[in-house]
Amino acid sequence: MNTFEANLATVAAHDGSLAAAIKQAQGGVLTIVPARSGVPTASAAGRSIHSAYDPRREAETWANAQAPACRAGEVLVVLGVGLLYHVEALRACVAHDTIVAIVPDLNELHDACTARRMDSWIAGVEWLWDQTAAMAEALAAKGRPLRFLTYAPAAVLHASVHAALERLIRHHIAARAGGQIHVAVVGPIYGGSLPIARYTVSALEQLGHRVSWIDHSPHLASYELMAGLNEPRHRAMLQSRLADLLGQLTIARIAEDPPDVILALAQAPMSLPLLEHLRRKQFLTAMWFVENYRHLTYWQQVAAGYDHWFVIQQQSCEDALRYAGARHVSYLPMAADPAVHRPVALTPDEQALLGADVSFVGAGYANRRDVLPHLITHEWSFKLWGNEWDGDSVLSAVLQRQGARIDTETCVKVFNATKVNINLHSWTGEGLDPDGDFVNPRTFELAACGAFQVVDRRTLLPEVFTKEQIVTCERPDDLAPRVGRWLRDDLGRQQAADAARQRVLAEHTYVHRMRQLLTQIGVSRPDRVGAILQGERQAAALIERSKPVPELIPILSEFPARARVELKDVAARIRTRGTSVTLSREDLLLLMLDEYRMEHRDLL
Amino acid sequence: MRVDDAMPRPLIIQLARVGDLVQSMPAMTALSAHGRATSMDLLCPAALASIGSCIPVVERVLPWEVERWRLWGDRWESAPKDTLRDIETYLQKAALKPYGVAYNLNQHNASMLAASLFGRRVVGPGDSGPLATALPPWADYLRGVVRDRARNRVHLADVFCGLCGVMPSGTAPRLSLPPMDVPDDLASVGEGEGLWIAVVVGAGDVVRRVPPAVWCEWIKAFLAASSSGHIVLVGSRGERELGRAIQDDLSPLCLGRVWDTTGRTTLIQTAAILSRCHWVLGSDTGPLHMGTAVGARAMGFYFARARVHETGPYGEGHWVWQAQLPAGQDVQGESRMESMGVEHINRWPIAESVRLILEGRCGDAPGWTLWESALDRWGACYLHNGVASMDAAREEVWRRLHRPRHEAHEYV
Repeated sequence: MNTFEANLATVAAHDGSLAAAIKQAQGGVLTIVPARSGVPTASAAGRSIHSAYDPRREAETWANAQAPACRAGEVLVVLGVGLLYHVEALRACVAHDTIVAIVPDLNELHDACTARRMDSWIAGVEWLWDQTAAMAEALAAKGRPLRFLTYAPAAVLHASVHAALERLIRHHIAARAGGQIHVAVVGPIYGGSLPIARYTVSALEQLGHRVSWIDHSPHLASYELMAGLNEPRHRAMLQSRLADLLGQLTIARIAEDPPDVILALAQAPMSLPLLEHLRRKQFLTAMWFVENYRHLTYWQQVAAGYDHWFVIQQQSCEDALRYAGARHVSYLPMAADPAVHRPVALTPDEQALLGADVSFVGAGYANRRDVLPHLITHEWSFKLWGNEWDGDSVLSAVLQRQGARIDTETCVKVFNATKVNINLHSWTGEGLDPDGDFVNPRTFELAACGAFQVVDRRTLLPEVFTKEQIVTCERPDDLAPRVGRWLRDDLGRQQAADAARQRVLAEHTYVHRMRQLLTQIGVSRPDRVGAILQGERQAAALIERSKPVPELIPILSEFPARARVELKDVAARIRTRGTSVTLSREDLLLLMLDEYRMEHRDLL
Repeated sequence: MRVDDAMPRPLIIQLARVGDLVQSMPAMTALSAHGRATSMDLLCPAALASIGSCIPVVERVLPWEVERWRLWGDRWESAPKDTLRDIETYLQKAALKPYGVAYNLNQHNASMLAASLFGRRVVGPGDSGPLATALPPWADYLRGVVRDRARNRVHLADVFCGLCGVMPSGTAPRLSLPPMDVPDDLASVGEGEGLWIAVVVGAGDVVRRVPPAVWCEWIKAFLAASSSGHIVLVGSRGERELGRAIQDDLSPLCLGRVWDTTGRTTLIQTAAILSRCHWVLGSDTGPLHMGTAVGARAMGFYFARARVHETGPYGEGHWVWQAQLPAGQDVQGESRMESMGVEHINRWPIAESVRLILEGRCGDAPGWTLWESALDRWGACYLHNGVASMDAAREEVWRRLHRPRHEAHEYV
């Protein structure tokens, strides 16, 4: 029996269909040559997958580096196949009952089975090799925390499959998530991310999570007072000190009621030392950077401070953040809040005051000053809303309310009262932004209102809306013809607006985004956030896992079955028994654990 | 486990820092001297186990692994069964069996829980159960001193004696260091002529840290006055920068006489280095107290919240410079202590303290009072200009608080 047959016989004894599939595969993905140590090594498409000197030792080093993070009860999911030295080494160094190896291409596994004997350990690993969706479903069905371990040299061959697999698993987990997370949302003092922070709070609450809203907007008056100082040095110093103070205030709030996750919105006053302090105390931090990373560049100073970054731009932004030290970077586009951004019935007066054939709401950026004059002197009515339009003699004739800032409620009414809403993403140059990638909140908000819009071209728009839902404009001189064409098509406008609204409700609300965000963090941290999301910290689940220690069951039974129970809750319950009661050994140990955990997380 | 299965030796619980461990030695010695136990076991942080094992009356040291408890605390919710099983395995491996009596010297909750966990009977904080809010009289006194900054009468080491129900033995216990290697280039520390002065460059509590520039001036003054003197800089790994900062401003001529051990020695090696020095200088820090326990004479610079009567070096012949409020300032309690922070000190007694070491005598310096340590029947006392200032007060405290557990040996 040769190597291939011996391996196949072992596989067949446990999984006949996999053995048949390996036999049927052709192989030829890996180039196999002997390593200096004498065992086979491999490369694919010119890239080395294992060491040319000693693949076993290299694999052991990899496995030893992974092992400390793996917690009892987790399913270990290995991404990357090659000659499987790393899987063998992992199997040897962890006691976990389930290690799953993902096989995107059976030809690769065929090559591995041909190259070296694996029959001594191959049955100790579970192999998933079907379509990506089926693999995701099988993993989600495990019902246990999944810890993904990537052997990068081999995983790079199938990066797209792995990305799709993780995405599908996130969806599965998100759909089943029932546990309550405690999230502290840290907002900015002012600015565009402030309302988004509020929508985020609302979405998390709608999902059933507990939210501590750390709102810094009440301090705007002090900030503006400092902005009024004439000397720039004084202004900068005092504003910086205020930001530091608010950072300390944030810490104090967190210390008083420690959350599972701290979610900051762009411009939140969180400095790098403060973030490092939180990490030392084992708090999980995340930033949703709802800004254009090319314009607002302070992320460079805090990139390494957050555990998770969520950004509204893709590749170049993600690469830049990683280069600056960010660990986990994920794309998370903007959204709308249907409770705020919604169709509204307007009175005739409101329609007359706020309505128009064509409207634009927003600040007077250079590109808007350049493009919007194309809409004047046509047969339609055009209204311009918003601030920072000073000095524009052309547009001043259509500017409403003398360029006053427009509140959200009025915005929504304007959107509803307008036949064609213009949505030009802000840019400091002329014309349309040549690097325009992210989709602004306004796009989702207009859509959620059931309002028709024409938006400038954005490379990421097709991921969130189809051409049937949102109309785009490719060039400045294309804008007026588009507007004219759609003003004549009442039915078409209505159909597009309805479709866009349905798309938002189905996929693009802040509730969707928060579910995606927490699931992403949960997948990265299966032992903490992941476990809570899966309901594993609920009293009933804890009782189930405590059965071999019956002494714990009476105290856990004092909590409602679906209530989330933390160590601090159990300790508090023990303390309420009073000082005269003799405590059991388990009670004392639980109180001791709670003491050390509190001390560990003592922030101030 | 039945009561008669309990360990016959008592267990001493001291889970605080190295200074507190050293300050607990008089209580352990007194327990032994008063016949309460010829030997005892000690539960202390794992990092201090090497020092604990050098205490002559300690039979066995049980290292308390704080990090493990923190990790267990973090993971309990995800693995309640495994966590408790791991704890039991750890306790079994560490042979942490129940003791007939546990003397608890700390007031924090973890200590009181440990005392209840391992002691059939608890003496000290937690003697009425780990959740009881009432403290025994000595613990209550200590809390008043620490929390309320009440006026201090009795030294911390003697309060520990009181907590154990014994009077101080009237001696300053010493650590019994085993033979050990130190880094090769430090092997000659303490050899040859001249005084060897250990300077403790840092302090666990930053507000108690003598500024590097002050140490630099002190070293310059000492080396200028003592042509055969040597300086040994002592500190932890995190204090290496302080060691470097001190040396940066020294003349190259001084450097051959300055030995920098900061961050290069283990705790027990630090004790060995201190044992080779004639003097140890520092603020109110663990190594200063450790120096007294290995035979060095101590000279402390006490400011910020440090008070000589509370935590001065234990034993006879040590000196403490206590920072004083500027004349005319009359504030009480915490404010008073804060006002003695390093930023309020305009002048350090550099020339005076060098003279004291070299000539053996000196008076107060502007902004500082000088105290000499001594021992009497109530424990540690401090003399100012040869006069003990608090004898009556100390006796009153002892008479009010002390609950002797074995009357035959006690003063009442």
